[in-house]
Amino acid sequence: MSAVLDVVRAEVFKTLRKRRVYVLAALYWVLLPALALLVGRLIYVNTRGTFVEEGVPLADLMQALFSPHGLATIALTGPAYASPTPYIIGVALLAALFIGEERGQNMWKTVLVVQPNRSAVLTGKLIVTMGTLLVLMVGAFLSAILFGTIGTSFLPTNLSGDWGGLLGLYLWQWAHLLAPTLLAFLLVFLVRSAVLGIVLVLIAPGLLEGIYSVLNTLFSLQPITRFNAVFQALRLQRVWDELPRYFFTTNLYAPGRSPATSLVNEFISEIDQADMGPFSQLLGSGLTLGHSSLVMAGYTVLFGLLLFWVFRRRDVD
Amino acid sequence: MNAITATELTKRYGSKAAVAGATFGIEQGEIVGFLGPNGAGKTTTLRMLAGLVRPTSGTCRVLGDGVPGPSLREVGTMIEEPSFYPYMTGRSNLRHAARLHGDVPDSRVAEVLEFVRLQDAAEKRVRAYSQGMRQRLALARALLWRPKVLLLDEPTNGLDPAGIAEVRESLRRVAHDGATVLVSSHILAEIEKLVDRILAIEAGRIVFDGPLKDLVARAAEQAVTYTISARDQAVLLTALEDLGYVPNARGGGEVEVSVPADDAEFLIERLTTKGVRVLSASKEEDDLEDAYLRLIDPSRRPS
Repeated sequence: MSAVLDVVRAEVFKTLRKRRVYVLAALYWVLLPALALLVGRLIYVNTRGTFVEEGVPLADLMQALFSPHGLATIALTGPAYASPTPYIIGVALLAALFIGEERGQNMWKTVLVVQPNRSAVLTGKLIVTMGTLLVLMVGAFLSAILFGTIGTSFLPTNLSGDWGGLLGLYLWQWAHLLAPTLLAFLLVFLVRSAVLGIVLVLIAPGLLEGIYSVLNTLFSLQPITRFNAVFQALRLQRVWDELPRYFFTTNLYAPGRSPATSLVNEFISEIDQADMGPFSQLLGSGLTLGHSSLVMAGYTVLFGLLLFWVFRRRDVD
Repeated sequence: MNAITATELTKRYGSKAAVAGATFGIEQGEIVGFLGPNGAGKTTTLRMLAGLVRPTSGTCRVLGDGVPGPSLREVGTMIEEPSFYPYMTGRSNLRHAARLHGDVPDSRVAEVLEFVRLQDAAEKRVRAYSQGMRQRLALARALLWRPKVLLLDEPTNGLDPAGIAEVRESLRRVAHDGATVLVSSHILAEIEKLVDRILAIEAGRIVFDGPLKDLVARAAEQAVTYTISARDQAVLLTALEDLGYVPNARGGGEVEVSVPADDAEFLIERLTTKGVRVLSASKEEDDLEDAYLRLIDPSRRPS
């Protein structure tokens, strides 16, 4: 345990001296809420008193999106929708910092002699990575409140909102980031290149899902042919149809995307999820947070076992 | 008790053996020179001793523990090019290593910086360091936790003569305090001044393990080097080649040649028989370089 603490102390010392972390924080803490606030102000100025307000109560929209609670929601939900998502970009950059840099600067031969307990080194690095992600997310939450509070001076918004529930979603989303962090560590360590590792981290999680979509569009298991009949008998069609429920990215962003469903429901009345087509999946519908947590726990165990096995055994050149 | 023990240590990359059955032991407090040509397996052996590379077969033990094991925390290393976080200062790099190790007070960082005479450059970022400064900083890091064993791979690379002498003096002091030092270097003159014992490796195999003077004596037993001058250098060269030797022509009409020790006493007589008028012949004393080159390079051995 003391070896892990030593690694944590050393990694925190290093992290505080790395400019990349401050750039990430600035982008997440300042740019996102500032831009959101600007958009809010533009919408408010341009739609106030117009016909748009007749359909959608503008004050409610402002409160939902650009109040302190709204901005904090955007800070959680926004990064889950951009592609590639800022969450995975953040994870990849941090993995490059904690794992890739050791390779890039040829530091493994130093780090693993100073601290030969490889499990402790890896555990310490994971703790600091997850700690940094937590600081970034909590910082985004707090800065959104700050910016939202500033926004109350020129927008019809206030501080009300389900703060406990939102903070819970933040923590839930943060916990879900452990799986991609392990995957990023694994890929960056395996390919022995921070740059290639980052690219892989951005591409790999969506790759299988993309291939599935292509196969689904082109072939699927329909219609029933002589070959497909066998698969149908094995209920493979059902497995195939159910597969997206276990996809990495769909489940990874479930906590971050869940407020979006509530917002859509609030402003576009009750929506039949089945009618939404591909948007249904984007809104995180059909997936409960319990289900996504179980799926992510599975990925976490899988990637974690692989990572520790590879890291403990591999030669350092 | 041996501070370092290697038993049948082997590392294969595919079908190629980088190290093949290396067996040796180094006692506490010894300074041992690790010699070998490029690609002979020195760095791979050091990496195995440091726990960075897993042996394909065989074992290594450091301070009584198997490698990798807890004893590695008592080991200081400099393996190949020194590496640091370039965006950190020299002092920060050492403080990072101190935290990573866990048992190093901050005051020790200042001590080792002073020891390697880098205290004035301690607040510079490492990316601004010269090769020599990086080398000294790497030595400072290796000494940070007062290691009982030092594994050093070319520690004087990039240093000027004064720096080399400083490193040599530092290593002597460290060894005097009881540390075991295994040091590889291509600068044989430096090794000669520093170590008590030589471990030589060639093509992955240990080809010599013993005191420095034994290596030189063994080389002298195998061959004797003569510097001969004759009235006609061309005739001398031809005669030596006819006798099956490989002579080297030098300036001033002199020729250098290594002959098997058994042939030495008959050399002048044989040359005279071949019509060479020998003016002078002097026997050269072998130094470590001659002995080493003869050990690793078959073409330098007398036929």
